[in-house]
Amino acid sequence: MARARGRVAGAISVFGELLITAGVVLGLFVVYSLWWTNVLADRESSRQGDRIRDDWANSGPGALDTKDGIGFLHVPAMGADEVLVKKGTNTKELNNGIAGYYTEPIKSALPWDDKGNFTLAAHRDGHGAKFHNIHKIKNGDPVVFETKDTWYVYKVYKTLPKTSKYNVEVLQPVPKESGKTKPGRYITLTTCTPIYTSDYRYIVWGELERTEKVDAKRTPPAELR
Amino acid sequence: MYGWIWRHLPGNAWVRAALSLVLVLAVVYVLFQYVFPWAEPLLPFGDVTVDGEGAAR
Repeated sequence: MARARGRVAGAISVFGELLITAGVVLGLFVVYSLWWTNVLADRESSRQGDRIRDDWANSGPGALDTKDGIGFLHVPAMGADEVLVKKGTNTKELNNGIAGYYTEPIKSALPWDDKGNFTLAAHRDGHGAKFHNIHKIKNGDPVVFETKDTWYVYKVYKTLPKTSKYNVEVLQPVPKESGKTKPGRYITLTTCTPIYTSDYRYIVWGELERTEKVDAKRTPPAELR
Repeated sequence: MYGWIWRHLPGNAWVRAALSLVLVLAVVYVLFQYVFPWAEPLLPFGDVTVDGEGAAR
């Protein structure tokens, strides 16, 4: 009898320890998602960013090598960080703390194209969380894209705080949902919302205001000073 | 369970505490290095693209 009760008590105690362990593991997973992936991604993206800046500095004018990335996105409203932009929106690349331009379902235009929509995605939380503060972007805020030889200064004209993840129409060359009806040079930022989940998508649209040539000292345009 | 591990560790209390710490760190390392990276794409927290099927999980 006493031994049977001891066995039951032992089983309950093991069960309790398993529950506590599960709780600790879940807590660790939160630490991993919201902190450790950022550490890894920031390290990787700054390494890749440095490599591009080196390339730019060491290669003369001429053909742009876009394999390592096409440039940097600066959004003062989201903070002082620059975001490396590379081709494609697959998870593996985005997890390196970069922003990717869409190749599917709707192919993005590039900033130097005559017309079209330059469409980008990046993480809201974890893995660099490069678009974490997207909700701080207001109409009229500048979004600047820096390439080897040009600053593309966009102005935000519309934000869509919540839309379905199936809403690929926001990526159209002429994003009708933002109120535009004519072809132009647009930029679209997409990420997930609300913060810490990805039930919906957050969209920010901008339109090219002007371009500036990059000078020898890479003086940033007025919007970034 | 933890009591059983504790009883089977060698040495006095200090040695056991040190060994426990090493075990805990090893478990955390395995979780961060292998288990969480594997589990993360299976959970719907990191989809950022609009594509209709969450291909960029």
